[in-house]
Amino acid sequence: MFDFLARRAAAAAITLALASIVIFVVLEILPGDPAEVMLGTEVRPDTLAALRAKFGFDRPPLERYLTWIAGLAVFELGNSHAYGTPVAKLITDRLVVTLPLGLMALTWASLVAIPLGVFAASRRGRPADWMVMGFGQLGISIPNFWFGILLALLFAVTLRWFPAGGFPGWRADPLGSLHALVLPALALSLGEIAILSRITRSSMLDTLREDYVRTARAKGVPERLVLLRHALRNALIPIVTVGGLLAGFLIAGAIIVESVFYLPGIGKLVLDSIDNRDLIVIKNIVILLTGCVLLVNLAVDALYAVLDPRPKVNA
Amino acid sequence: MTIVTRRRFAGLMGGASAAAMLAGKAGAQASARAKEGAVVIGMSLEPPVLDPNLNAAAAIRSVTYLNIYESLMRIDDKGGVGPGLASSHTVSSDGTEYVFKLRPGLKYHDGEPCDSADVKFTLERLSAKDATAPAKSLYQVIAAVEAPDATTVRVKLKNPDAFFLYSVALGDAGIMGRKSAATNGTKPVGTGPFMFKERKEGDSITLAKWPGYRDAASIRLNTVVFKTIKDPAAQVNALLAGDVDTFPGFQAPELVNRVRADGRFAVVIGSTEGETILATNNARKPMSDLKVRQAIAHAIDRAELVAGENGFATPIGSHFPPYNPAYVDLTKTYPLDLDKAKKLLAEAGHAGGFSASLKLPPVGYAQRSGEIIVAQLAKIGIKLSITQLQWPQWLAEVFREKNYDFTIVAHTEANDLDRYAREGYYWGYNSQPFRDNWKAVVREADPAKRVPLLQKAQKILADDAVNGFLYQLGKIGVWHKNLVGLWENAPTPATDLSVVYWK
Repeated sequence: MFDFLARRAAAAAITLALASIVIFVVLEILPGDPAEVMLGTEVRPDTLAALRAKFGFDRPPLERYLTWIAGLAVFELGNSHAYGTPVAKLITDRLVVTLPLGLMALTWASLVAIPLGVFAASRRGRPADWMVMGFGQLGISIPNFWFGILLALLFAVTLRWFPAGGFPGWRADPLGSLHALVLPALALSLGEIAILSRITRSSMLDTLREDYVRTARAKGVPERLVLLRHALRNALIPIVTVGGLLAGFLIAGAIIVESVFYLPGIGKLVLDSIDNRDLIVIKNIVILLTGCVLLVNLAVDALYAVLDPRPKVNA
Repeated sequence: MTIVTRRRFAGLMGGASAAAMLAGKAGAQASARAKEGAVVIGMSLEPPVLDPNLNAAAAIRSVTYLNIYESLMRIDDKGGVGPGLASSHTVSSDGTEYVFKLRPGLKYHDGEPCDSADVKFTLERLSAKDATAPAKSLYQVIAAVEAPDATTVRVKLKNPDAFFLYSVALGDAGIMGRKSAATNGTKPVGTGPFMFKERKEGDSITLAKWPGYRDAASIRLNTVVFKTIKDPAAQVNALLAGDVDTFPGFQAPELVNRVRADGRFAVVIGSTEGETILATNNARKPMSDLKVRQAIAHAIDRAELVAGENGFATPIGSHFPPYNPAYVDLTKTYPLDLDKAKKLLAEAGHAGGFSASLKLPPVGYAQRSGEIIVAQLAKIGIKLSITQLQWPQWLAEVFREKNYDFTIVAHTEANDLDRYAREGYYWGYNSQPFRDNWKAVVREADPAKRVPLLQKAQKILADDAVNGFLYQLGKIGVWHKNLVGLWENAPTPATDLSVVYWK
């Protein structure tokens, strides 16, 4: 099992290195530079040149790439061009919003989707199954920003149960901060619930066909135990795999949901930085997110090995 | 009778108590803030830094000008220029020497005195050879700044400049302390009535009333929070949910009626300095042909464009704001006439029309007007294909490289006709008569004598159909009905909070 994980970790490291090159090259060829954005339409060529030199854009690309990687290794990310504040602080300030948001959404998704999928599988072909499937279809088709706007309209503007957006900060108002994350997490989890419940259902149906399930039933094990103890445990493998992939989708979803609820999270920082051509912020966030997704996948692989001991023999 | 099981009953109770708990928090935020003298101001764009000498973003001026920093002169809500940090000034008869008299006893938020040496420092920071101030070109006219005593500043100009007082009144020219200037980007220190308290990037900036202000008794707000909300739907939600008290520059005319219907808010339509134009690349064929530009001018239906802005805009026929005393109505220079437009196109050798690009920046008015312009020009055979650009791309591709045929953009700087006299500006306009006339405008210090010259300038631009002149961008101000004093117009980017209070 260690062998298996070590090989996966090495692959992840290589992927990360390649990703850093791609990110750097893409930002190199992206039109528009931060100096131009900062100086606006009154810009004079000499002012522009002076500012570009200040940022170090006049140095050769290879040198800039190596400087970046060297800084990254010690989490020394430099200062944002647009804000003038350290990138590392910007990112950590935003993570305390996005991380809980994503966890909340993922928790809800698992809490709702897995029972829903099991339920649908146990009622296969019956109206309850159709309803769950229909809900799944709907959940996938509704964009989460639209769902977010609807949630805000109902629960913030009309009922006033939740704030329409914004984030008071954990230290200033912990309860209020939790409160502020409820609607965005709900908006974010809709698509996850839809996908996870369908995966759970089909995975359950697969395992329910297995011999050991028939054996368990023949032995007279109560149906509830058959579903949960015998079938679900084995059905979890594809569910966990997809759950890991969904972590990546969560980040993409956060970009939009954070805009709808004006939450100062990583997603909004990405969007703002692209608008400002704050290249130093963009490249650092993207490489960190890439690292996170790779880590999640690594964790999924590890979980996989725990849930089903078989792959480690073949791997 | 419905049967209520024990479990269902417990569920109902749980749900109800949770709802009650949540509901307790909401409602009546605005009146609570009014009691504390606090106000939450919504903005569409976030100021990157808080030093206007580092970045051109208008949002910086909206937060800092008149609140944190003050300039030598001060622009008022009508666009007029009056005394600021300088209580009086004199101009030499040849218009090349200005002497400003500072108010005595001025201080910065950090306790440092503010005197003529700071003014000299600031003006040199704006105009020095190695300056990186975005508006450097405005201050290039400064030859030397002298500070003969603590409250006197003498500025020598290279040549007379009729707009010099306006330039030193702008938010760009906020007078900064020699000690604090270097860190003003993240921790601004000024002489204004409000001092910087806290910033959360991507979210908000908080200012607090400064007790040391020379006229502190007249300041009625205690705390001001500038909150950035970009998404128009989220802006409306924030207003209606009571999280925000005002959007002084509301960007979504299509949503105004929803806010109006609520009844708690006043919607006030003012004007901006933003001339919205179908900017035309005069250096490119076939737009280099006057007849082609005239044809386009004849095909533009301004009423339709204004309707597209929900009526919150004023038609213009040249590059000039209608409320300016020197304004002339030139909207009838090339009246809507499709037959004439087609005839002119045919005379220019484009009987069948032509295809061209329309590169749009990511702003609401450009998106809305872009679609309408495409439909209008299609009627005379000009087929425009829209490309959506982000601002950085627009600045690089359209503004710097001039790689475009048409774009739609509002030019929001005041007194910005000089751009038509500039060499190599992105319109590619080249007119000696206009340049000569503009030289006369800049040298004319007497405002009354300047009027006919400004009118002539407008006429030249309208006749040459340099750009498609569409409309003056309206300023939609939305604020809580009890909030008083916010500017109706936006003659310059500012949110003057020194005069704002809760009724």
